[in-house]
Amino acid sequence: MIEITSSYVDSLASNNAAMKNAQGLVKKRSFVQLNQSEDGTLLFAECKGSGSSNYQCSADFIQPDKPILRCSCPSRQLPCKHALGLLYAYVGGEAFTSAAVPDDITAKREKAEKREEQKLKQAVDGEPKPKKVNKTALKKKIQSQLEGLDVLEKFIQSLVRNGLGTIDKKVIKTMQEHVKQMGNYYLTGAQTELRRLTLLLSEAEDREQVYTDVVEQLAIMHAFIKKGRTYLTNKLADPALALDHESTIEEWLGHAWQLTDLKEYGLMKEQAELVQLAFVSYDDPARQEYVDEGFWLEQDSGEIHRTLQYRPYKAAKLMREEDSFFDATRIPSLYRYPGDANRRVRWEEMAARPLDPHEVARMSIHAQRSYADVIKKVKNQLKNPLSDANPVVLLHVAEVLLSSQDEVVITDEAGQHLVLQDQATAGHRALPLLTHLSASQLEDVSMLVRFEHDMDTGRLTAMPLTILKDAEMIRLLY
Amino acid sequence: MSTALLQELHQELRRLYIAGSDLALGDYRLKRILPQFQQLGERSPIFKRLGEGITALIEPADTQSYQSAEQLQDLGLLLTSVLRTQGTTAPQGDLRSIPNRPVSLSTYLSYRKLAAVEEALSTTGSNRYEVVVQAFEEGMFRDLRLLDPAVRALQDPYSEIAEFAMQKILPAYGAEVVPYLIDGFNPMGGRVESRKLHVIGQVGGEEVLDLIFQAAESGSEEVRVTAIRLLAPHSSYEPALLSWTKDKKKSIREAAYQALATIKTDTAVERIYEAFAGKDIEIAAEAAAKCNAEELTVRFVRDLSTEIQQAPVYKDDKKKAEASCIKMKHYLTALEGKRSDALYEVFAEVTRQYAFFISYAGLDLLDAAAYYFEQDNSLDALKNLHILEQHNTRYLSHAFRSSFRQLTPSQLYEHYVHSVRNKWKMKTNKETQKKLQQFISIIEQQVISYPYQSYANLWSSQEETSLLRKVELMPAEQVAQQWDVRWLDWLIEVDAAHLVCVFTRPGHTVSQSFMVEKLQGMKELRHQSIEVLLLGLERAEVDVSIRWEMLMNLLEHKRNSSFYVFEGHLLEYLYQLPFAFQDRLAAIMPNYRYTAREQLQYVWNTMEDKKQEAYAIDSV
Repeated sequence: MIEITSSYVDSLASNNAAMKNAQGLVKKRSFVQLNQSEDGTLLFAECKGSGSSNYQCSADFIQPDKPILRCSCPSRQLPCKHALGLLYAYVGGEAFTSAAVPDDITAKREKAEKREEQKLKQAVDGEPKPKKVNKTALKKKIQSQLEGLDVLEKFIQSLVRNGLGTIDKKVIKTMQEHVKQMGNYYLTGAQTELRRLTLLLSEAEDREQVYTDVVEQLAIMHAFIKKGRTYLTNKLADPALALDHESTIEEWLGHAWQLTDLKEYGLMKEQAELVQLAFVSYDDPARQEYVDEGFWLEQDSGEIHRTLQYRPYKAAKLMREEDSFFDATRIPSLYRYPGDANRRVRWEEMAARPLDPHEVARMSIHAQRSYADVIKKVKNQLKNPLSDANPVVLLHVAEVLLSSQDEVVITDEAGQHLVLQDQATAGHRALPLLTHLSASQLEDVSMLVRFEHDMDTGRLTAMPLTILKDAEMIRLLY
Repeated sequence: MSTALLQELHQELRRLYIAGSDLALGDYRLKRILPQFQQLGERSPIFKRLGEGITALIEPADTQSYQSAEQLQDLGLLLTSVLRTQGTTAPQGDLRSIPNRPVSLSTYLSYRKLAAVEEALSTTGSNRYEVVVQAFEEGMFRDLRLLDPAVRALQDPYSEIAEFAMQKILPAYGAEVVPYLIDGFNPMGGRVESRKLHVIGQVGGEEVLDLIFQAAESGSEEVRVTAIRLLAPHSSYEPALLSWTKDKKKSIREAAYQALATIKTDTAVERIYEAFAGKDIEIAAEAAAKCNAEELTVRFVRDLSTEIQQAPVYKDDKKKAEASCIKMKHYLTALEGKRSDALYEVFAEVTRQYAFFISYAGLDLLDAAAYYFEQDNSLDALKNLHILEQHNTRYLSHAFRSSFRQLTPSQLYEHYVHSVRNKWKMKTNKETQKKLQQFISIIEQQVISYPYQSYANLWSSQEETSLLRKVELMPAEQVAQQWDVRWLDWLIEVDAAHLVCVFTRPGHTVSQSFMVEKLQGMKELRHQSIEVLLLGLERAEVDVSIRWEMLMNLLEHKRNSSFYVFEGHLLEYLYQLPFAFQDRLAAIMPNYRYTAREQLQYVWNTMEDKKQEAYAIDSV
């Protein structure tokens, strides 16, 4: 029997429009014939479309955690609305008649099986073939990266020497040229950061307001150049040196981690259960990408992980836009990226099941009860300019108060306070929602918050993302 | 640790970053705070390092290799790290519990669903209204996070969205939403505040009456008008409503009269009546039209009757006559939709003296009479209508509709055709011809309608539909029942082609050949007459092969190359076209463009399919 929920089907869709169109097909009764194979692993149907003949669509659950959706329509969107509609029809309780598996699906299943076998065979025989590293090429690349760092440093120093006040349109143009150049030196991370600096300076209406951020960004880039240079110089001396899997320097330099690499460095965990606590999607013009960011609680350890999906502007239309996820997920292999708190995680396979209200209630045991300890840890992380500047923590909140300056304040059981504040970078406002909640939803609860240090005011504040009260999860963002 | 000192250093460095690190050498402000760092540095290594950094920046030991930018960057980085560990988290001032007004909403929507609605409510651009309406229909506004956007939607620049929020979205929250609206309500505001108040009044119940009253007393003009309307169902506010009829602003007085019309108390009725003596007669008349208080109707009929009786007296005094006419007009407005014997008598009197009143008061009075009689549905009223129709063809339609309802089919025919047959024949008389055309079009309205119907776009995409116009004739059985058989011959006589198609019967050869002849004279497909004639031929049971042939001839006519789309029955006939016509169809298809071409192509394709099927059956 296939067990899926409508939110799971939602999660398969590439975007909101695909969901709507798929549900529209069910509503309009466009499915001519709904069938299910006798063993219950395959759904297939004919769907009326604009073509002269009906489309043949199917959903193969032979691997329940990795369904394969097929369709004979010419759409480039995967999965297409017809296959999604088929699943919505199934979830919606439409009657599926039992029928034999069509021949073409049988053939496709066999092929897939063979491919799988081949893979397995390779895995067994070849015991991951020792990756051949072309040492000369690697050396050349590292040299080029070092050269790029020199160019970047020289350029930044010239900016600092002449003063930020003298940056005019002409200088901005030179900055943009340098952004382009960084790409030639295999320094995508540096490229992003320099673009961030350029955008800060070129898009501000009032420069005075961004100078503090600019100065901070310059400091970060300075740290990055210094650390990057040391790391690359060491590597140049010994090209066989392993990737740095402890700190985030690889990512800063623009390295894209492969799952096999992560596994090799022992960053893979088996059988993890995750529940999403918050989600947000935003446009990052410095990266030239849309970012889908999710915060997940690992149910055993209580750690808060982070999923990040980057959708480059150019490919955004064809890529699946991530969404809030309400089910519990079981992940056979969870890959963790190097980093501090809230490590980035990824997975290839997962199985979803509806979240039990008791589980939500149980998640609160992972809430941190001493703000003093948390703040200490947060500050320790912030001290390193190259670490994530917005750690996310699940806190226990004894009560929510309002100060005479109209600041919203949370308190732990020891009476320690923490001021809440919406963060401009998120583009959302969560605090106004608190006044819509009942007193009980603000007392003795768990709250997922994201920290931020403001250089101008010298304050460390937190933005509430989600509140957990008993079996209820109140998502203030998404 | 001295955070203030660190902050001071941060400000100084920020200044140097802006001015340029080249100016750092010997900077006196940094020099001034340096000793403090050195002093603190004796106990704390961090301050020592910062002190060293400052020294390296402003008083370098080695001026040869001195790089001001690098020194500043080093110091800036160190300070950033230090400051990031010094963030304060304590609140300012006293703490109190947070004021909250809980609502029973949850946060169940996923990002992709929520963001689409949020975007629709926070941006400008097309298709936003549809998104919002659909979201409301799916109950998405039960998500907590859409409450604030919904309230903000009241000020949406696209007024349809703002109105939708006011009429549907916000009232659906019920009383829960009222405190939020009251919080942000500014009685001195404009349209947005007036919308807020509307919602407050709609769902707020008794508790908000006082607030509404306050707004009605002292708000801006727009808010006051809304407030007064909201107070209308509450008769306890009668004294205030009465006082507002004396307000300086016309819109306030108007709203007050409207509200009085709703509460209908004796005093309210009295005030509306009084207003007819003053300058507010126009707005009072409109309010009175909505008031169904018996007393008021009696009085207005009485006054109208007086004016009518006085008319011969005023006749020679132009000023008085004019004033009286204006008054009569307002009485008529106030009496719209009201019925009483006395009023009937007034209109009957006016009809009797048609000639006098048409010159005295113009059409308004008689139009009102004709409308009243048509609604009356009595033979006596019909008599009056027949008098009116004699005087003016304008009233022909009222009289004919009323006759159609009340007379037998033969009486109807006798009255309109038989008794005046010779008169209709006077073809040279322009007036009569005009009247005839008018008469025919009145009958057409009775028996032919042109509704829109949605058709599946078989020719392009089955999932989509188009609204196409079609022709609907009164069903043949109904014609046989309600109309005298003699109509058909007369209609042929007066050349009323469309009506012949409705009234024709199988076996009536004269009408058959009449229609065939008419259709042969047609060249352009876009004439709606073609559809009517084809339907007529079908009704007359003319041989189907003749009909196909005639349709095909039309399709082949060269004039139709810019024909846009086949609609209604024309399209349905095309679908039924036998595949014997396939070759002829193929020959003309290139002449067509646009949708018409796609439709013909589709017809040709289906013919091809049918042909294949026929072959398949044959070969079996």
